[in-house]
Amino acid sequence: MLALLTSTFVTVFLAELGDKTQLAIVSLSGTSNRPGAVFAGSAFALVLASLLGAAAGGSLSSIIAPEALQLAASVGFLILGARLILRSNGDQDPPTEAVASGSDTPSP
Amino acid sequence: MSTPELPSPGPLSSGDLLGESTPLGLSPDGPAVLDPSSGAASTPPPPPSQAWLQVFLTTATTVFLAELGDKTQLAALLLSAQSGRPAVVFVGASLALICSSLVGVLLGRWLSRLMAPEQLERAAGVIMVVLGLWLGRQAVLHLAALHLQTGPVLG
Repeated sequence: MLALLTSTFVTVFLAELGDKTQLAIVSLSGTSNRPGAVFAGSAFALVLASLLGAAAGGSLSSIIAPEALQLAASVGFLILGARLILRSNGDQDPPTEAVASGSDTPSP
Repeated sequence: MSTPELPSPGPLSSGDLLGESTPLGLSPDGPAVLDPSSGAASTPPPPPSQAWLQVFLTTATTVFLAELGDKTQLAALLLSAQSGRPAVVFVGASLALICSSLVGVLLGRWLSRLMAPEQLERAAGVIMVVLGLWLGRQAVLHLAALHLQTGPVLG
């Protein structure tokens, strides 16, 4: 039992490292000031997804097309990314005013 | 997006465990101790705009949609089919997923200390857009392949 637990842990952990999900988590955590919420939300969603996958088995893909889920996820990513890029453009204005007296490039 | 807007911090944010004590504060052996000198001067003032529940829901929805039907599930399914002990497989997979999301959160916090906020926001936005385009391309390619399978085989 312990061997099965360990093998599952190692397999899933390695499969998850560097995955797109983790990239999204890194992005969300780095740009929000609530890392606890990001951690809780991502852990909850991951566990729920794996619970659904384990409980439904192969029958889940017959209920919901995985392509539809992928498309929904891609739209979500696009919205979040566009919002972040817009926000970064908006954030740039106040700091440039602060250093407007000096040169544009900060040289320490 | 239909996530509820919460202008005032909810009842959770005053005394909840996760919101107040960040994972970084609990792990002094993490990468956060690398730059206490440079991070002290540039600690960004936390804007009160982001409510805990909103961040939670956004993250949960995105990650859930992205993860469902992914390769992690395939691995878990394979293991559970071979072993016949799905509960053990589920516990192992859940622990691994929680650990990997913790790694992701810590990595994000570490990056946010290294980079300027707007720089990081732009990089994260570009990553998100690229991921979105890639996911959409995968879905479209998969749909096209399914259509080709039902039709006459090419080549």
